[in-house]
Amino acid sequence: MDHENQPGCCAEFSAVARTSRRAFLGGALAAGVATTIGSAVIQTAAAAAGTPARGVVVVLSMRGAADGLSLVVPHGDPVYALARPRLAVPSDRLVAKDGFFGLHPALSPLLPLWNAGRMAAVHATGLPVRNRSHFSAMEELEDASPGSTTRSGWLNRLIGSDAIASPLQALQMGGTAPAALYGSAPFLTTRSISEVGIAGADKWDTYGGRNRSLHTMWDKRQTRLAGSMRAAFGAVADFAPVVASPSTPANGAAYPSGDLAKALSEVARIVRSDVGVEVVTVDHGDWDMHADLGTTEWGAMKRNAEQLSGALAAFFTDLGALGDTVTVVCLSEFGRRVAENANWGLDHGYGNAMLLLGAGVRGGYHGTWPGLTNDPDADLLVTTDYRSVLAEVVSSRFGASIPTVFPGFSPTRVGVMLGQ
Amino acid sequence: MSSRTTGSTTATRRGLLAGSAAAAGIVATSSPAAAGRRYRPRTYAKRTLLSGRDRHLVSRFSYGVTPDLAAEVRKKGGARAWFAWQLTPGKINDKAGDRTQAWWPELAQGPLTLWQNHAGGIRGGWLVMEDYQRWVMARRMQSRRQVLETMAQFWENHLNVPTNGEQWFLYRKTYGDVIRRHALGRFDELLHAAITHPAMLIYLDNATSSAAHPNENLGRELLELHTVGRGSFTESDVKDSARILTGWYVDMWKSWKASYRPDLHATGRVQVKGFTAANKSADGRAVTADYLRYLAHHPDTARRLAQKLAVKFVGDDPSPALVRRLAKVYLHHDTAIKPVLEALVDSREFRRSVGDKLRDPAEDVVATYRVLRVRLGRPRGTDSAANTMLWQAATIGAMPFSWPRPDGTPLDNATWSSTSRLLASLRTHYQMAGGWWPTQDVGYRPPKAWVPKSGMRFDQLVDHLSRELLHQPSTSVLLKACCEATNLRPGEKITHDHPLVRWSMARLLTTLLDSPEFFAR
Repeated sequence: MDHENQPGCCAEFSAVARTSRRAFLGGALAAGVATTIGSAVIQTAAAAAGTPARGVVVVLSMRGAADGLSLVVPHGDPVYALARPRLAVPSDRLVAKDGFFGLHPALSPLLPLWNAGRMAAVHATGLPVRNRSHFSAMEELEDASPGSTTRSGWLNRLIGSDAIASPLQALQMGGTAPAALYGSAPFLTTRSISEVGIAGADKWDTYGGRNRSLHTMWDKRQTRLAGSMRAAFGAVADFAPVVASPSTPANGAAYPSGDLAKALSEVARIVRSDVGVEVVTVDHGDWDMHADLGTTEWGAMKRNAEQLSGALAAFFTDLGALGDTVTVVCLSEFGRRVAENANWGLDHGYGNAMLLLGAGVRGGYHGTWPGLTNDPDADLLVTTDYRSVLAEVVSSRFGASIPTVFPGFSPTRVGVMLGQ
Repeated sequence: MSSRTTGSTTATRRGLLAGSAAAAGIVATSSPAAAGRRYRPRTYAKRTLLSGRDRHLVSRFSYGVTPDLAAEVRKKGGARAWFAWQLTPGKINDKAGDRTQAWWPELAQGPLTLWQNHAGGIRGGWLVMEDYQRWVMARRMQSRRQVLETMAQFWENHLNVPTNGEQWFLYRKTYGDVIRRHALGRFDELLHAAITHPAMLIYLDNATSSAAHPNENLGRELLELHTVGRGSFTESDVKDSARILTGWYVDMWKSWKASYRPDLHATGRVQVKGFTAANKSADGRAVTADYLRYLAHHPDTARRLAQKLAVKFVGDDPSPALVRRLAKVYLHHDTAIKPVLEALVDSREFRRSVGDKLRDPAEDVVATYRVLRVRLGRPRGTDSAANTMLWQAATIGAMPFSWPRPDGTPLDNATWSSTSRLLASLRTHYQMAGGWWPTQDVGYRPPKAWVPKSGMRFDQLVDHLSRELLHQPSTSVLLKACCEATNLRPGEKITHDHPLVRWSMARLLTTLLDSPEFFAR
């Protein structure tokens, strides 16, 4: 069925989208706003001279609760090796190692970013209270205002905090939108770039009748649904430059195989095409390693960490200079236990590490180490509410209002973003 | 795109469209009158239609008006009589709806077996939940008890326990059964059955609540979501609400048996809003029953339920007068649901709400199967339509009861009007119209079957299809759209060998499915 969704359908829209885009750009520039890719269309009156331009934030959710203690290893804590006689990553295998922390060797492809000071890890982050259910933890994390009456995701509150009403402002690559995006502000979910199109408006539709017939049925209707349908036609048109963009990565980037790499290669196309997308969410799973998490030689951790690092490294290579406008935040609904179980795995825990890469990131290790306890039920404790990290990202990249995005929350300084 | 620049894109796009239309040799007509002159619909009334008013009622309380359903409505003496008949579902013979459960045998398994299969890696809970969601869709598609199914959907969503495969999956099917049993009964009984059901107890953490550490999750959502609503209670109410519910227990991770544990019940005086009880007995079941009955009968609950029913079945902004009236009927009839529904469908506001409610994703898929009269067979593999139809709903934006939060899927139109949803609907409609996917254990009508008379005029064919798929006569706008989609003139003779029938029937059928008339329910 792929041929049903070929981009050719929208060639007629593509031209106009480019034209109008240029008109927008002209307008923004005329107003004296210095803007960069991804933000030109969006940042209008609010951006006074000197305000950092808005860019793109990619939220990469490691679904299933990744083990932060394997990714960002506290080799300086003696309990780590004791609690994990088989699973501990040996200290001499770590990369980007300092006196206390080091990264899993499978993250080596990210070393150029790390060494350039463009990658950071914040340890012992998490929800304010323990929650070992994937599902409700994800919900809580993505809602990010526990206990408040707000039932919308933090990303939806972020994109809803300005005057932009385009569904293209936020985009989920993959199946279903995360709860972080749920809410009243429009967003777009798609499994792939090629699916952002009108089914049937393809190369076999020689006379362009498909689009014309839809406009005939919907254009004159005064209902709200008709308005939404016209917005959808408009979004397809606005997105057309992305669909028409070359799918070959730039700068010699070589993506590994796998869903995450494919998704990030499409995100790079979206960033490059400059159609006003500001927030992209991508899911990567499965990190739920109750069994066969393995070692540096075999197992699910090695495999997943390689997919993650390979895809992210290729993504930033692909972006080239545009990478200076893109911040990637990798997070998980919760962490895993300190001590290993009998199945070469780890059960559900609490605190975790977050990874940040790209624009505005202050490289290196961050956070307050709580110390580990060796006990079958012991968790990595949380010393940094993950919202404090996200707050620095949204305020440094978007200048967003923290009370709007995280109602009722007072962030503590983490310092993981420059200027924060 | 900022709001201040929207105008210019729209203008440009319109300019371009007009340009391309002209280039294709078609004179763009801008006024409906002009469209009417060129595209005059021509009647082909092989089958009688319900009146507009009857169609509206049946459409709102079913998963799509098919010729069979319309015949049943006529036999019952019209929509209102049909509706009254539907309100006693036990009297409706429903072999087609009943047999579907046997299609997914694991739905009959008890919690312990399901758990052992899940923990032993034999079959994950999420897979069992997928089967449950498929069964729900199959029932909606095939059951003759259409009003019961719409109301089961309403209450199962109101008392949402997500079908995501977490531990409560063990009881999720029986939870749905219990709700369906009470869906046209009394809300006070429905509420008690749902709140004390192990699925709900596990989902909202009451199963592990105790006198020493009352878990407030269920106690809070009971007030905020299931009954009186936000702003109507205090934190102290929540604490006592949680204490009242202590004792309702599930033996987690072991036998998974549900029981009442007096040793876990928090005794001592409780007060929630106007409800007070000495709560001296360790067996708190009676105080639970009294408390839930109090909440079900509370005017704030009446108002909330009336509002939600009106939003689901009338429109997104029901008048306060209608909500007041429905709440009054609800309280007057001791929380009985049927009289409220009858008052709702008899209201002028309901009659005037034609086209005001949008199908949600699963409703869209089910209605597409129904109006295309796709035969759904017993599934034999993962690619069978009865299994893959769930992915169709997921693509459009939501599978039944998969909403990840206790507040349930939103009922308003805006939620289901996103660009993603609309584009995905168009894609699913086109796939189904072409019969391209799914292809296993499913029967599509051959293109010829949609052309009742070889050699008929195209405009007649459009009228015929409008009656078959939309249960209403064609309009000039629809005829024009169909002519554009197929590049045919209204007077074209359509034989069974016509290229339209041989190659492009999907383009014609999808035009009807993509019309505003089909998006509304």
